[in-house]
Formats: sequence, structure tokens, C-alpha cells
Amino acid sequence: MMGDHGNSEDEYVYVSDDDDDISGVDDCDDDYEADDYDDNRDEFQAVDVSIVTGPSSKVITKESLLAAQREDLVRIMDLLSVKEHHARALLIHYSWDVEKVLAVLVEHGNDELFAAAGVKVVEHDDGPSSLQFSSTVSCNICYDDVSATEVTTMDCSHCFCNDCWTNHFIVKINEGQSRSITCMAHKCGAICDEAKIRCLVGARDSDLAEKFDRFLLESYIEDNKRVKWCPSVPHCGNAIRIEVDELCEVECACGLQFCFGCSSEAHSPCSCLMWKLWSKKCQDESMTANWITVHTKPCPSCHKPVEKNGGCNLVRCICKRTFCWHCGGQTHDFYGCGRYKDKDVEMDTQSAKRDLERYMHYYNRYKAHTDSFKLERKMKKTMHNKINKLYESDTSSKDFSWITNGLNRLFRSRRILSYSYPFAFYMFGNQLFKEDRKKKKQRYEEEEEGEEGEKKKKRQKYEEEKKKNKQLEDDMKKERTIKQDLFEDQQQQFEANVEKLSMYLEEKFESYSEDKFKDWKMRTIALSVTTDNLGRNLYEFIETDLLGCFKDADHKIAPYKSKGVEKASEHHSSLGI
Amino acid sequence: MIDFSRVQKELQECSRDMEASGIKVTPVSDNLVNLSGTIPGPIGTPYEGGIFKIDITLPDGYPFEPPKMHFVTKVWHPNVSSQSGAICLDILKDQWSPALTLKTALLSVQALLSAPEPDDPQDAVVAQQYLRDYQTFLGTARYWTETFAKTSSLGVEEKVQKLVEMGFPEALVRSSLEAVGGDENLALEKLCSG
Ligand SMILES: [Zn+2]
Ligand SMILES: [Zn+2]
Ligand SMILES: [Zn+2]
Ligand SMILES: [Zn+2]
Ligand SMILES: [Zn+2]
Ligand SMILES: [Zn+2]
Ligand SMILES: [Zn+2]
Repeated sequence: MMGDHGNSEDEYVYVSDDDDDISGVDDCDDDYEADDYDDNRDEFQAVDVSIVTGPSSKVITKESLLAAQREDLVRIMDLLSVKEHHARALLIHYSWDVEKVLAVLVEHGNDELFAAAGVKVVEHDDGPSSLQFSSTVSCNICYDDVSATEVTTMDCSHCFCNDCWTNHFIVKINEGQSRSITCMAHKCGAICDEAKIRCLVGARDSDLAEKFDRFLLESYIEDNKRVKWCPSVPHCGNAIRIEVDELCEVECACGLQFCFGCSSEAHSPCSCLMWKLWSKKCQDESMTANWITVHTKPCPSCHKPVEKNGGCNLVRCICKRTFCWHCGGQTHDFYGCGRYKDKDVEMDTQSAKRDLERYMHYYNRYKAHTDSFKLERKMKKTMHNKINKLYESDTSSKDFSWITNGLNRLFRSRRILSYSYPFAFYMFGNQLFKEDRKKKKQRYEEEEEGEEGEKKKKRQKYEEEKKKNKQLEDDMKKERTIKQDLFEDQQQQFEANVEKLSMYLEEKFESYSEDKFKDWKMRTIALSVTTDNLGRNLYEFIETDLLGCFKDADHKIAPYKSKGVEKASEHHSSLGI
Repeated sequence: MIDFSRVQKELQECSRDMEASGIKVTPVSDNLVNLSGTIPGPIGTPYEGGIFKIDITLPDGYPFEPPKMHFVTKVWHPNVSSQSGAICLDILKDQWSPALTLKTALLSVQALLSAPEPDDPQDAVVAQQYLRDYQTFLGTARYWTETFAKTSSLGVEEKVQKLVEMGFPEALVRSSLEAVGGDENLALEKLCSG
């Protein structure tokens, strides 16, 4: 089912791109600037309808949190005919995964489902119980005789005095166990009725009763695999719920884009682990003395320092010489520029230097594209003005959404490009593979704590396996080198197109003649489509041909989206609360 | 915050059936926060014949929070620290229920002496020995019981009688015994030294 979803969306996006870009039909849900967010949202929802599977993520605001949680509770309460606290206990136990609860129900039946979550559903006679015939009851906790009106009976039919229950609840809430307060009877384990808890605690300490409710509410986010707080700082107050099972990148209503897997910035095609290692490495390296961030580069012709001031990586010196920011090459021929040429140096003594050189190669390109991205984002405003100018002029078509589409494609592709460098750094380096090996060794050492005789056998087996693995690794290394070539081909091709797109969009098209403008439009749209295809192909290659090399670490990446990181739609309750 | 009226009732109830259970709980201080419990070593175990003293401290939230207990008498047992006397027992931690009492908790500790759980050890050394060399474990546990849990097999009255028979006046015997904590040898030394 998940696979189908991915495909259908891909198709949808692909078709719409061809259509929209060529015919110029309005399609600006690509446009994700905060100031026009509101018009945008309508567009976005209109699009939702056309995708049968619906949007893959939703924003849950403080206000809709309660409703979102109630929806799930009500579903379980209705389906299983249980009370709210039973439904909550079930959902907390199964991490708020309604499907999972139902799956367990179908597979193992009611009893097992309830028992696992500590839910005791007892047919309880709500009529006058025997208790009410006698005026006093002895409480088994405080050993006092209390009036029959001063006691509370839970679903498990255990009955204690209200004072004792209240003390018990207060201790549990303060211990942070609001989500699963069990009955006081020894070995009972039944989850207490939250309405009764709220009522008893509220009578003594209303602040604590509020705290209890807040804990229950937050469980919906903190125990839920599909919901995460938006990592914005300061916090925007929103949470995001994803509707799909796969790793994805989302954009919160506050405008922040993040990876749902690790809550840091959207970083595909880097995997979460790669990104974590890269962020740390950049921090470490920036502190070492041999690291100098270069903001300017000497012109290869007149040697004056040249500062990069546009997104385009082909810079122009005042002496009119243009050169490539990365390699100093004279043309826009980027094929070969982003390739890493491993120099033949003596082993060991040179290896540290080589490691740094290797890192610098990838870092410089990563940084250059990140900087380009920041500079290009500034184009957004000038583009707006340019488009306004076009509206005022007497062109035949008044629809310029394809320009914004192209610009958004540039933003998206630029990001992919910058993250593709740390990806390559780890994919074609040794570190992650070394870690795979280290884990294997660790596991072996743990196993070694067994019996003496077995130890020997295990050690032999390990040595054998090591030999076999060595052979396998060597083969894999050869294969990786071939794959690296293929990857770099695609990356460089993608990069060349992105640079070209950046250049096109920087043109002064607003003052073009009608013919020249038409030509520019065709060029831009065609390039935008090509760039999209190249980006998709790059992802496909990464996902199917490269990431499979890792055996132990789980490297998954958020799938390619033509339209960039998906904006989460607002959650609308179906309950009307 | 401690429910003292409940603690009082618990103490009464406990002393009422002390004969049957062999479990004794007595207050150490006036405030009922610190108590002392003793349990007899279960029959058929290397702890048989020993009397084990357990230090009890009641937390503020008692009985809604579990009492804190540790062995004062040294014990050789996988779930008791041979150094500190700390006890690894679920009902003294997350499985505590306010419906349990000091007496039932001590009974659980006694049951733990009969049925060690070496897979969830408090003392790794003891647990290893229990699993790998059970015979040596039994020997050590028995030796520790003899050495630490049986300071004297005689009751106070018997000790008094024994010393009086040696020719010391009864009042002096009693005060001497009390001064040295009931050890008859120390009391004799004290009496002889004048
Ligand atoms: Zn009570
Ligand atoms: Zn119960
Ligand atoms: Zn946010
Ligand atoms: Zn991530
Ligand atoms: Zn120059
Ligand atoms: Zn360029
Ligand atoms: Zn270059």
C-alpha cells in the first residue's frame, strides 16, 4: 500500500509538471514563501483532493491537539466499546497507532490486546452495590473506617477511601506517571479511570489536576511515532503528524523545513546518520587551526581577490575574466570540476593531510552551494518586482507562475546539490564502512564472554568470516569506485543544469522584447523540467544502487519530491470540536 | 506526610502475630521514620537458624511510596549486596503497592532468601558463584549465616542466669550485658575487670 502511494504521487507530480510548465497553467503551490502562505494553503488543499491518498503530513496546533487526540480515542472507543481511559491506555501502549491496535485485535483477540496494555475491562454493575447498604467501609490502605460515600471503586472493582486514592494519584503524577496510573491493590495493574483521577485530584489541588491533563495531552505527541514537535526555536507551538510510514521531510506552518527522522534541517540525500556525522565534523574542523574559511578567491588572471556575490558559481572578476569558483577553470564546463582526484601520496605520513584534503574538497562544494542557496533566496524579492513589471507591460499572457516554479525548482535543486556532497563524502569514504566493521567486532567481543571451549570455536569462525569479509570488502570497494564514477557523472550533470538555471533566472528578462522573452520562457521551462528529471534520477541511483552497500547502519532517505519539501496541511478535526 | 496512624496500626498488627510469622518490626526513633525489622532465615536454606536484621526508613509519602530497606546483618545472596546490604526486590521499587505493609514487605524479603533470582543480581560476584559453583555458594552462605546472623544462640535470660551462676550479682550482670549490647563474652570481661 505504501509503495502504491509513493508511485501514484510521483506520477501525479510528474504529469502535472509537464503540463503546467509548458502550458503555463497556474500551479503555484510550489511557492512556499511565508508572506503568501494563506492563498497558498487553499491551493494546497485543492491539490489534496486530486491526490486520492491525501497529504502526507499535517500541522497540529496547540488548539487542534486536543481534537486530534480525541479523534483517535473516539475511534478506539467506538470500535472496541471501551471507556476513554481504556482507549487511552491501549493507544499509549501501542504508540498511538490505531492501525496497530486493530491489527493486534484481529490477530490475537480482545483479551490479549487488553492484557498487554494493562487494561482490565470488567463488567461492572453500576447499580447500588453491596457497599451502600452498610454505612461504613474499612479502607485497606489507611485501616480507617470511612463512610460508604467517601470511597471510590475502580473498574477492577477494588475499592479504597477517597483520601488514599488521592494521595496515590498525587504521588504518581509527581513521579511523572500520569499516563499509566494503576490501581493501588497489589498486583492488580488495572489502569485507573482518568475521570475519577481528575475529579479526586482536582478537589485537593486544581493545579495538579491541570498538570495531569497536560501530561495526558502531551503523551499524544511524545509517545506517538507519527507525531513530532516542530523543532523551531523559539518553539512555534506546533506539532507535525505524518500520515505515511516512510521517512520524510516536512514544512511546518511556521515555515521551518525539517527531517522527520532526526528533527534537524531537511538533509536528503544525506541519511540521518550521515548528516549527524557531517554536522559534527564541520563543527570540529572549523575549530582546528588548519581550517580557514575562504570567502574570496584569487582571480587566475590578475590575482585580485574576487568575492562571490551571486548564486552562480561562475564568477567574474573586475578584469572581466570569468572563472569557476570551485576549480578556477575558465568555462562553465563543470564536468570534472566536482570530481575528487585522489592524489598519489605516501601512505600514513600523508594520510592525515589527505583526509583533510578530501574533507575540504567536499566541504568547499557543500558550502558553496549552501551559500548560493542563501543568495538565490534573495532573488525571490527581485523576482517578485520583475514579475509585477511584466504584469504592467502588454504581454499576451498574464500568467507567470512558471517563473516562480522555476525559481522554486532552483532552490530545491540547490539544496539537493549541497547535501549531495556530504553524502558522497560518506558514501565513497571509509568511515561508515569502518563503523560497520567495528560493530561486528564489538558483537564478537560480547559473544566472547561465553564458555572457554566455545570461545575457541567462535574465534576460529570469526577469523574465517573476517577473511571472507575481507575478500567481500575488496570486491565491494572496486564496485564502489565504479559506482562513484557513475554518481559523479550524474551529480556533475545535475550541477551544470542547476548553475545554468540560476543563470537563466538572473537574466534581465523583464526588459526583453516579446520574441526574446518567448525564447527565454521556452529555455527556462525546458531547463526546469530537465533539472527535475536529473534530480529524480540522482535520487533513484542513490536509493537503489548506493545505499544498499551499508549492512548494519540503517540509511534511508526521504524520497525525491519535484515540488520540494511538502508543506504540512492544517489538521481539521472530523469531530467538530 | 507519613500516615503515622497507619504505621501505628501496622506495628500493633505485626506484634500480634509475631509468634506465627517470626517477623518483628520495632521503632528505632520516636518519630517512626526509622524502624528495625528482623526476619528468621527460612528453613531448608543456608540461612536457616540465622536472625537477619533489616534497617527500615519510611519516605515522606509512605505508604504511597515504598519503604527503604537494607540488610544490617551481612548476607551472602545474589540479590543482596554483600557490601552494603542493599536489596534488589521489585516490590521495594516499581512494584510497590500501598496495599502492601512493612510485614508483607519483610515476608517478601524472606521469600527472596528462599528463592534467589540470579538473573537479576544485586551482587554480581555472588550471582556468578551461584550460577557456576552452587556448592561453594551454599558453603559461603552458610558460613556467613553462622558468623554474622547468629551472634549468640542464647536468650538474654539464659545469659543472665549463666553469669549469675558464676557468682556475679544479678543487677550488675544485667547492666553489664546491656552496656555491651548483649554479648556474653564482652559482659564477662567487663564484670571481671571490675
Ligand atoms: Zn484509606
Ligand atoms: Zn484493582
Ligand atoms: Zn513550526
Ligand atoms: Zn534526518
Ligand atoms: Zn581578474
Ligand atoms: Zn554559473
Ligand atoms: Zn570548476
